[in-house]
Amino acid sequence: MKQFKTRNFCIIAHIDHGKSTLADRLIELTGAMKNDKIIEQVMDSMELERERGITIKAKAIRLSYTAKDGITYELNLIDTPGHVDFSYEVSRTLAACEGAILVIDATQGIQAQTISNVYFAIDHNLEIIPVINKIDLPSSEAERVLEEIESVLGYKHEEVLHISAKTGQGVPELLEAIVKKIPPPKGDLNKPLRALIFDSHYDSYMGVVAYISVNDGSIRKGDKLRLMGQGTELEVVSIGYFNPKFTPSEELSTGDIGYIATGLKSVGECRVGDTITSLVDGAEEPLIGYKTAKPMVFSGIYTTQPEDHGQLREAIEKLSLNDASFSFEPENSPVLGNGYRCGFLGLLHMDIIQERLEREFDLSLIVTVPGVNLIVTRTDGSQMMVVNPSDLPEPTEILKMEEPWVKISVITPSTFIGPIMDLVTQSEGIYKHTEYIGHLHTNNVLGQRVRLEYEIPLRSMLTTFYDQLKSRSRGYASLDHDMIGYKETRLIKLDVLVNGVVVDAFSRVVPPDKAHEIGKSMVEKLKDVIPPQLFKVPLQASIGSRIVARTDIAARRKDVLAKCYGGDITRKRKLLEKQKEGKKKMRNIGKVEVPKDAFMSVLKMED
Amino acid sequence: MPDVIALYIHIPFCKRKCKYCSFISFDDRVNDIPAYIDALKQEFILRSVSATIETIYFGGGTPSLLSPQQLSDILAVIGRCFEIADDTEISIEANPGTVDLKYLADIKEAGINRLSLGIQSFNDAELSMLGRIHSSKEAGAAVRDARQAGFDNLNIDLIYGLPGQNIDDWNTSLHQALDFHSEHMSLYALTLEAEEMLAKEIKAGKWPQIDADTVATQYELAEELLGQKGYRHYEVSNWSRPGRECRHNLVYWQEGSYLGVGVAAHSYIEKRRSANTGDLDKYIKALSQNKLPPQEIDEIINPDLEIAESIILGLRLCCGINIDDFEKRFGIDIMKQYGKQIEELLNFGLIEKNQEYIRLTPQGRLLGNEVFWRFLPDKI
Repeated sequence: MKQFKTRNFCIIAHIDHGKSTLADRLIELTGAMKNDKIIEQVMDSMELERERGITIKAKAIRLSYTAKDGITYELNLIDTPGHVDFSYEVSRTLAACEGAILVIDATQGIQAQTISNVYFAIDHNLEIIPVINKIDLPSSEAERVLEEIESVLGYKHEEVLHISAKTGQGVPELLEAIVKKIPPPKGDLNKPLRALIFDSHYDSYMGVVAYISVNDGSIRKGDKLRLMGQGTELEVVSIGYFNPKFTPSEELSTGDIGYIATGLKSVGECRVGDTITSLVDGAEEPLIGYKTAKPMVFSGIYTTQPEDHGQLREAIEKLSLNDASFSFEPENSPVLGNGYRCGFLGLLHMDIIQERLEREFDLSLIVTVPGVNLIVTRTDGSQMMVVNPSDLPEPTEILKMEEPWVKISVITPSTFIGPIMDLVTQSEGIYKHTEYIGHLHTNNVLGQRVRLEYEIPLRSMLTTFYDQLKSRSRGYASLDHDMIGYKETRLIKLDVLVNGVVVDAFSRVVPPDKAHEIGKSMVEKLKDVIPPQLFKVPLQASIGSRIVARTDIAARRKDVLAKCYGGDITRKRKLLEKQKEGKKKMRNIGKVEVPKDAFMSVLKMED
Repeated sequence: MPDVIALYIHIPFCKRKCKYCSFISFDDRVNDIPAYIDALKQEFILRSVSATIETIYFGGGTPSLLSPQQLSDILAVIGRCFEIADDTEISIEANPGTVDLKYLADIKEAGINRLSLGIQSFNDAELSMLGRIHSSKEAGAAVRDARQAGFDNLNIDLIYGLPGQNIDDWNTSLHQALDFHSEHMSLYALTLEAEEMLAKEIKAGKWPQIDADTVATQYELAEELLGQKGYRHYEVSNWSRPGRECRHNLVYWQEGSYLGVGVAAHSYIEKRRSANTGDLDKYIKALSQNKLPPQEIDEIINPDLEIAESIILGLRLCCGINIDDFEKRFGIDIMKQYGKQIEELLNFGLIEKNQEYIRLTPQGRLLGNEVFWRFLPDKI
């Protein structure tokens, strides 16, 4: 039976350990594409993904592989997102697989995300094939990494494959291992249909396209289906698999991975993690518990030019058809006008949404200081969620305030424990645990590699935490984080005034004892990023009516073209046109032209 | 074809390229001057039209690298191709390091009646920083020679806002220049573009960064001093004795018609702006084949742009824009069309107006770009 010749697997790796290159090589060696066609890693389809070197949307490719036993197997390679912001999507992808290739960089060894990936895969009962990649590099320390893998992850030396995804060395052996070690999909063709949605995207011709793995039963074009978690009903408009492009087929049956086009208008109606069954005589139980990914980071999105607000609404609505994990609600800022309070899975997700809005819809946006959601209990006993600092009640009305915390895991050479400890303490974090995991040659001078565990408020991770972690560890430390819930806190609202006007987009919630220091550094930073205006501009930070920091931007005195004769006119006019265009990237606040970058830059402070 | 056009002739040769110069000029091609003059003559013939020339301007580069005979020949060709008015202003830019009394007397004899001396500074350290080929002493000698040669319409160019130049340095240079009682003064704030040598040297740390506040104060000092000495400020960077404004340059700011001849020369005739190639070889080659040189710019200035340009250029003049003249020319009430911008700029104190005119305030002259861009049409 075909099902037993199918292998469904994914590749898991810390960022830059070579996941996409390995995918390319597998595609090339199984002949799905000629080498010269693999110009870029084919599985990353969005332009943005390629630029950032991250895979945002999981997709799958069907590969045909004839093993040494003479049998031709169907391998379904599912690509997973590589960033912790998208951990929910990763977990759904893993649920669609029976096995995972765990890629570890021979020059870097185990990193924070390697470990979380492994735990994740074990949670999903996947057969894991550990591989050491980049063994062709002169700086490869495969032997040391092998020891690390054994001591930290418990895999014996002989279980670990040595490969170079770049040169193809060891990849044929990996293909054999995939066939031998990874079990075929379990499922039962005769049971009612159950298929898991592990990804979806919106296509303007086909409606929502759901990427599915068929667990039991089969699906044909025209079938009427139901989503068990959401209750959405749909009809299969088109069906097929990826090779690596969409390839229509007659049906998808037990063990298959492919797509169905649903004709639905929004991915919100067809969310990742839901189980598909038949509308009539469907299955009783979904495959896995269905939940929606919850936004954790919130910020306001506005257009730099107020008159573009209509376009922003349209763009956000369109984008949300394609990304069910970001939330948005209209809000009104006294200074910026109409905009949206948006919720994101994390900072990277926020950056991606902003870039997509600007690039795909040609908008110039202001994104306000990101924050977390606070649970506030008022003195009258009522509870509220606060995602915008401006909505924080007066201190006297607050009985209790809670904020989200994360558990972080850092892997670093031991030399940097001190500086990292300091950073965590400054970030209001708590030390939990240390674990020594081994040496790498080059790191001997830097001491053993250790895994540190802390808990810190998510709020502290929204500023420069990651950058500082990297700089304090000279780039060695890797980071992983995981939500652990809410803890009681006491925070106050810090405002920034530009030319005497409170700019709500700069408002943040901060611990009272840090308000002065943060306020001071915010106004200093703004002084650098707001260009001199035609008049003196005071910048102030305040708590309530109390000013805690102040600085001034001196007035601009000179800006004129010295010469403008016959030969200069066209060229100088173009310079003026540029100047005029530049104004569109500014937001006028209290008569002050504030560059859009200023809103994010206040977070990027030195320590 | 307009009745009157101004004529510009570009001479793209220098002994040495100044470190702040972004004009088209070659310091290794002086041997090509004869061939270039032949090409120029050919271009005059090809472009000859029935219009009256009232101003002629030899700019560069270094036009004073041309011999009196060469200048005389060019003027003769111009005379055959165009109608030349009796009182035509014929200007030439001259580098003090290239002229002596005899040369100046000879070019005066050839018909040049206005001399613009590129002195730039009376401080030798500054001259060397700028990469000038002359000293302050030679500069002074050139002015005296010019007077002796009979030039009674003389301009002195100075540059301020130099890296490290303080208010006193500027004050000293300015006073030395004023001692020569020239009819005209052009004072330019140094404006650097990234590819220029001096910009690179500043970036490399050889000279201090230019301080915009100091430049503003230097400008205000010049405005005050020149006013006291009886000069009238008539354009952002130009001062003159009453009636001694540069008539040729006024054509640019009043959006008159001009014909540019030579490498990289710009023309504006009947709402069409064009520019010859900046490539010396291509220029000479085309004309040797009796063809007009390739054009680097060739754009029709649409009515919106024409209005915008005439405001931008008009506001450079200290007398500003005459509201009635503007309405006569474009059929537009400027106050209605640009009410919002004008209101905003009045509030900033960058412009002032009465029944007759709108013009920049002294502060506005320093912040002209903030005024100008507001009048550009929105892109379609």
